[in-house]
Amino acid sequence: MLPFQIQFKPGQTVYGQVVYGAKKAIVSGLLRPADHFPSVRQLSQELKINPNTAHKVVSALINDGLLEVLPGVGTVVAKSPAPSRAARRELLSNDVERVVVEALKLELGLDDVTSAITQTWQRITKPKL
Amino acid sequence: MNAIIETNMLSFRYGAQEAVRDLNLTVPQGSIFALLGPNGAGKTTTLKALMNIVEPTSGEAFVMGVPTTRLGPTEFQRIGYVSENQELPEWMTVGAFLDYCRALYPTWDAAFCSRLTEQFQLPLDRKLKQLSRGMKMKAALLSSLAYRPRLLVLDEPFSGLDPLARDEFISGMLALVDESDWTIVISSHDIEEVERLVDWVGFLEKGGLRLCEPVAKLLERFRRLEVVLATGAVRESPPRLPHPDWLDVSVQSHALRFVESQYQADETNRRVQEIYPDAKEIQSSPMSLREIFVALARCPQTSTLKK
Repeated sequence: MLPFQIQFKPGQTVYGQVVYGAKKAIVSGLLRPADHFPSVRQLSQELKINPNTAHKVVSALINDGLLEVLPGVGTVVAKSPAPSRAARRELLSNDVERVVVEALKLELGLDDVTSAITQTWQRITKPKL
Repeated sequence: MNAIIETNMLSFRYGAQEAVRDLNLTVPQGSIFALLGPNGAGKTTTLKALMNIVEPTSGEAFVMGVPTTRLGPTEFQRIGYVSENQELPEWMTVGAFLDYCRALYPTWDAAFCSRLTEQFQLPLDRKLKQLSRGMKMKAALLSSLAYRPRLLVLDEPFSGLDPLARDEFISGMLALVDESDWTIVISSHDIEEVERLVDWVGFLEKGGLRLCEPVAKLLERFRRLEVVLATGAVRESPPRLPHPDWLDVSVQSHALRFVESQYQADETNRRVQEIYPDAKEIQSSPMSLREIFVALARCPQTSTLKK
C-alpha cells in the first residue's frame, strides 16, 4: 500500500499528478521526515504507471529537496525544515488558476472573486454553534 | 534513441487483402509502447510479423537488431510473447506447464516465478483447461515473465479480463521492471487500459501507421480549442475544414470548437484570428490520450503525421 492516494484525472500528465500528490502528502504532514518513500517499482506497480514516469517523479522530489537517499536505508522524506509558505502556496496554484479562469469566463472582476473567497472562508471557519 | 524494434516499409497481405501497408515503426528500448487502433487495423498481424509467425509480403523488420525472418532460439529466449488467442497445452496442470517452460529458458528465475505465482494466485495443481480466461492469461504471462525477457510483446492482453484480473496482470507486467533492460509492446483497441502506462504510442488505421511518437509530445501538441465568435450564428454547419491541422470542427451559435493537432499557443491564436477575425475569446484545454484518439478516429486521414 502506498502512503498516499492519487485520483488520476484525464487531461493532465501522469507525472504532474503524481508529483503533486506526493508533495501534498509531504507538505500536509501525511508523510513525515524519515518516513520511507515508495520505491520506483512500488510506485509503478501500485499506481499502474510507467516505471520511467515513476523514476522521474522520485528524481524530481529528490531534486526539490523533499526526499533524500540514505545509503543502506533507501529513499526517505527529507529532514528539511517545515515546508515553506511558498511551497504550500504553490500547491494551491492549480486551483487558484482554475477559479480565475472561471471568473474571467463569467466576466467577474478580482473584487468579486476575493469577496466570494472571503465569504466562503468565513462560512467554513466560523465556529459551529 | 536505441530502437529495439524497427520496421521498414513492412507490408503484409492475406490474399488480396492488405492487412498492413508500408509500416515504418520504431520502438525505442526501455519504453512501454502501445500499438493502438480499432479492431481490424492490423495490430495483430504487425506483431505476428515481428515475432516471425507470419512472413512479411514485402519490406523488412528488425527485432533486437536481427531481421525477423532470421529470429531463432537465441532471440526468443529473450522475448516474451503473449497473445489473446494463445494456445496453451490445456491438458497440463499449471505447475507442469511452468516446469515445461522452465526447461526451455536458461534465464528462468525460479524465485521470481514463485513470487508471481503467489501474486497471481495461480493454482499449480489445476489443469489449464479448468482455468478461467483471466487465469489462463495470467498463466501465459507468468510463463513469459519468469525468464525475465528483454522484450515483452502483448497482443490485446486485457480483452475479456475483468478489472481485477486486469490490474493483477498489469502489476505482474510491471514487476519485470526490476531489470534495467526491458521494453514492453502492448497492442490494444482500448486506450483507457493503457493510458497511464505507456510512454510511446503508434496508431494504426486500416493497415497504415497514422502516428508514432512519445506520449508526452502527443499530449503537448493536441488541444481542444473553444473560441467565442463575436458575430457568430451565421456559420456553415458543419463548416469546411478551416485548417488542415484542425480536427473535429463544430460551430454552435457563437462557439467554435475544434481539436488543434499542432498546438503552439501563439501560433494557434494567430491562426484562429486569421481565419475568424471576429474571434473574441480563445480557450484551450489539454486532452487525455483517449480524447485524442477519439478525435483522430472521427477524422480519418488528415495530416496529423506531420510533426
